[in-house]
Amino acid sequence: MANEFAKMRHLRMGLIASVMVVIVTGLSVAGAATSPAFAVPSGRSWEALLGGMSLAVPLASPLLLAVLASRQVDIEHQGNGWLLSQTSGVTPGGLCRIKLLAVGIVVAVVTILESVLVLVAGLLLGVPDRVPAGLWAGYTASVLVANLVVLALHVLLSARIDNQLVGLGIGVLGTIVAVFATALPPAMAHLTPWGYYALVAAAGYQGTQLVALTPAYGSIAALGAVAAVLFVIVTGRFDRREA
Amino acid sequence: MSYIVATEQLSKRYGSRTVVDSLNLRIPAGCVYGFLGPNGSGKSTTMKMLLSLVRPSSGEVQVMGQPMNRGTRRRLLGHIGSLIESPPGYGHLTGRENIRLVQRLLDLRDEQIDQAVRTVRMQDQLDKKVRDYSLGMKQRLGIAMALARQPRLLILDEPTNGLDPAGIEEIRDLLRRLSDGGVTVMVSSHLLGEIDKTATVLGILSGGRLIFQGTRDELFAASTPDVLIDTPHPEYANTQLKGMVASRLDHGAVRVSGIGDQTTARVVAHLVGAGVDIYGVRRDEQSLEDVFMDLTGGGGL
Ligand SMILES: Nc1ncnc2c1ncn2[C@@H]1O[C@H](COP(=O)(O)OP(=O)(O)O)[C@@H](O)[C@H]1O
Ligand SMILES: [Mg+2]
Repeated sequence: MANEFAKMRHLRMGLIASVMVVIVTGLSVAGAATSPAFAVPSGRSWEALLGGMSLAVPLASPLLLAVLASRQVDIEHQGNGWLLSQTSGVTPGGLCRIKLLAVGIVVAVVTILESVLVLVAGLLLGVPDRVPAGLWAGYTASVLVANLVVLALHVLLSARIDNQLVGLGIGVLGTIVAVFATALPPAMAHLTPWGYYALVAAAGYQGTQLVALTPAYGSIAALGAVAAVLFVIVTGRFDRREA
Repeated sequence: MSYIVATEQLSKRYGSRTVVDSLNLRIPAGCVYGFLGPNGSGKSTTMKMLLSLVRPSSGEVQVMGQPMNRGTRRRLLGHIGSLIESPPGYGHLTGRENIRLVQRLLDLRDEQIDQAVRTVRMQDQLDKKVRDYSLGMKQRLGIAMALARQPRLLILDEPTNGLDPAGIEEIRDLLRRLSDGGVTVMVSSHLLGEIDKTATVLGILSGGRLIFQGTRDELFAASTPDVLIDTPHPEYANTQLKGMVASRLDHGAVRVSGIGDQTTARVVAHLVGAGVDIYGVRRDEQSLEDVFMDLTGGGGL
């Protein structure tokens, strides 16, 4: 674990994580705060901020998660690190699990920071209504699960396929899926991990009306559980593969 | 004799291709074991099986008297340093940061790290990024990472590959010092000259089969050098030997290949009987290369 954080040095992981925070926070706040009804009583300002995040998160996350996973895994291909770890008692699957944990901590910090910064921005900008704390926390947790699932997928892709352009290409495709999934019927959105960004949206337009939505908690919990099981199975198979 | 590595009928098949075929390796403790063979002869695959990184298709590996397999490898690997194929090293980190990773992984003391680094003489290069290292420096860092655990057995796969003569000499010198310090070293190469003078025991692999294993002296003994016959009439002598043995002219002498002492005596008697004056009969000087080429059938080394 400590080793994975040590390997992050000079990899610009912090920079990429900061970019994620800045894009999501910036887009969410800018989008909401420029609307004329912002920060007036009953102006649906919190809905506007949550709606902004529900658009900005799927826009920024898939590709940047792919980049984070790819950078942290590609160093093993480049530096003959799989063998080095194996001869020191850490199997390839074990290394993937440690990497998910280490980068996952970074991603958790990013996700929570994004959410908290948007909330703080709302308060500083003087939104007078009560903070929908439950929805806010639920949405943040749901996004965290979706982010970690996408991250896990990319850790496996980057480990299995040496050419990192493949993983990054899938990150780009994922961004497209994530952004347009709101327009898909919910059944379709359930089919890929990126579709869940739309399913957990905390606010959105119904017709021309901006309303608070309830994230699909059941769906995201199921996704998390299925992904965890698959990740354990796939990394277990990595352990049995030969050098 | 105690063997630090012993294999029984060790084999590896990929599909229907047998790349390692029924090896019975015997590596005596304390030696430098030169593992020679042309490219593709199965050296790396064998070494990976010794480390349990590749599962044998059949046969067994014993390391330090214990079976090496998935169940035991974690414990045994703590006493084995290894460098397989290309040297490890994260290019974006410095040498020091790289070796710290190994230190944390294996829970090693600072003294162990310092000693390993000094052994490969890298103490002044540790603050450079590994991507700026020369190949020789990468090899030495890789060996330091393998040595830091103070292994009883060191397995090095072609550590001299791609190095210039000075770099090769440095590795040779290092192997000798390690061996003097009591570490058993197994080192592979596809070039005999690179490890010939360092190795005390040789194993020669060709097409996945072990075609020779023993000391250098035994290797010479295993193949019979040519007999050279000096005579003032080499052409006549050569025609007299036609159909009897394989002979040819060589710089004013007659060279006879592949004959033992008894046949040599018969050849000499035959020539004398045919009236050929003989003033010298001697075995040719043979280099290890010649022996090696003989054994591997000149297999493109
Ligand atoms: N994972 C693998 N799958 C199929 N063939 C392999 C694999 N690894 C090695 N080989 C084949 O086994 C043979 C021996 O390879 P190797 O052990 O690397 O030889 P060496 O190290 O002596 O050059 C080669 O012909 C190689 O192509
Ligand atoms: Mg090889």
